[in-house]
Amino acid sequence: MERWQLITVIIGAYLALTLGIGLAAGRKTSDSVTGFVAGDRNFGLLVMYFVTGATVFSAFAFLGGPGWAYSRGAAAFYILAYGVLGMAPWYYVGPKVAELGRRRGYVTQAQLVSGRFESRFLSTFIAAITVLAFIPYITLQMRGAGIVIESVTDGNIPIWVGAAVAYGIVLIYVLSSGVAAVGWTNTFQGIFMVTIAWALGLYLPFRLYGGVGPMFEAIGEARPELLTAPGLDGAGAPWSWGAYSSAILVSAIGITMWPHIFMKAFAARSDEVLRRTVVLFPTFQLFLIPVFLIGFAGVLFPEAPEVADSILPFMIMETDLPTLVVGLFCAGALSASMSTGDALLHAAGSVFVEDGLGPHVRLSEKRQKWLMQVVVLVSGAIAYYFALDEDSSLVLLLLTAYGIICQLAPGVIAALYWRRATTRGVVAGLLSGTATALFFFFQPDLKPFELHEGILGLLVHVPVLVLVSLNTTRQDSAHVAAFLHGVEPEDGVEPEDGVEPGAGVAPEAGAEPTAGQGPDGA
Amino acid sequence: MSRRNARWLFVAFLAAYTVALTWPGMLVANRIEPRILGLPLSFFWVALWVAAGFFVLLNLHVAENREREPAGGEPDGGDAGRREPGAQTPEGVD
Repeated sequence: MERWQLITVIIGAYLALTLGIGLAAGRKTSDSVTGFVAGDRNFGLLVMYFVTGATVFSAFAFLGGPGWAYSRGAAAFYILAYGVLGMAPWYYVGPKVAELGRRRGYVTQAQLVSGRFESRFLSTFIAAITVLAFIPYITLQMRGAGIVIESVTDGNIPIWVGAAVAYGIVLIYVLSSGVAAVGWTNTFQGIFMVTIAWALGLYLPFRLYGGVGPMFEAIGEARPELLTAPGLDGAGAPWSWGAYSSAILVSAIGITMWPHIFMKAFAARSDEVLRRTVVLFPTFQLFLIPVFLIGFAGVLFPEAPEVADSILPFMIMETDLPTLVVGLFCAGALSASMSTGDALLHAAGSVFVEDGLGPHVRLSEKRQKWLMQVVVLVSGAIAYYFALDEDSSLVLLLLTAYGIICQLAPGVIAALYWRRATTRGVVAGLLSGTATALFFFFQPDLKPFELHEGILGLLVHVPVLVLVSLNTTRQDSAHVAAFLHGVEPEDGVEPEDGVEPGAGVAPEAGAEPTAGQGPDGA
Repeated sequence: MSRRNARWLFVAFLAAYTVALTWPGMLVANRIEPRILGLPLSFFWVALWVAAGFFVLLNLHVAENREREPAGGEPDGGDAGRREPGAQTPEGVD
């Protein structure tokens, strides 16, 4: 048997195992919409840990991470830096979101925001930007899967076959088992990708340089500019501090606002599970260390791949690794791609139906679930179409998507923590913030200090939200109390809203330590 | 650590984290030498803050749970978040 055939067998075995786990996972979940979208709110700690970790770390981290370290050096450190900053406030926000979900039956982010700020437009708008932001994201995951399979089989399995097979399997388990499949396959895939990353991240520097220390010593002599922040930009010129710093901030704000991650709060079995997941998240984050080591190992490699993002598969194929290791690496990369792709596809279906259609048409449970499955299929097909198109501007689209997704943060925070916020304020903020982000995306030369357009959007968004809210009629206090606590406020005992850490956006909370958590970041 | 102190530490840590890993805080450790565990100082610095984040969160969690359990009697969370004594708790109770 030829080498590539053996590798194909290993990949096939891995895919079969994933499919088996995905299908088995759905057998215990109820047939309801809550079952499909939120797993009957029954995810335990093990599953939540890996769902969160494996969903956050996608093909972008597994292939893009080494690619960045390889071509842009220390610029990649931003990917390591933002995760903890973004997840930490979730320690308080996550359980609050979950509690609202249990009490008021929410399964999506837009339901929560428009539950407080009753506006069908708001719900539909959030659904629309979500689905639009998802398409390039899913496309990237599919391309990642296709590229990896193509390169390790010496081109015998082209991208279109690899992507189709990997994502055909994802579709089967997402459609049949819903989020339960996402949970259990991500657990399996998460263990896999972390193990592979650490193994390769330590092995390659040893193999090529005799250790991590000697490797950085060699790079420090030959390419010292790669080892200090902010590293290089895409063209190889020094990156700016403004771009580096704002990339950290915008990603930190955006990370939990991605609906496929936000919605997992509704799937947790208990608040304790959610809190523990947040506490443990930094341990998952450290998996980027070996990922960067792999990229740095390629810096002084005599030959270079055509595109930086394929440095990892390129080195794998050039260093004469045992066939089994190559096959396992490939499975690890597929894990990274599929564990994010499945969550995205699943969330696209849920959001489109629950938030896009839900407020406008009345649908039976059965019909809703059926429609979600249709949307999952259609999104998959659209993303597949783009995945085969050799258009590198997708990465750019994804970065823009981050700028738009982080515009969801002020609305969510206001819904949860600021009693004076009004529907008009939130809608005005969202529209102005999104418009600003898009404007600077198309006019990058006008960006001050090369700040990320998402941050610039927030600098307009937050003041607009606050000012419009303060100048429009206060929301009915019974409605706000019912939303926040499920009861009318009792005499004298004002609920302690806005004094919990995490209340960054509430102006009244000025007396409490809230620095670093609001949408303004610092 | 009391819950109040743990919350302060948590918030102060996030603020310090943000400053330390962006401009200008990152300049403090933005060098190749000395290398620690083989990593350039700049890389190690970022990783160190991430690892510290784990311990700060762990400390917060322990402190929060110590006060949550006797009050709510519901160690698994439930909706305990809303029933915390919070403001009424005198500071420094440990």
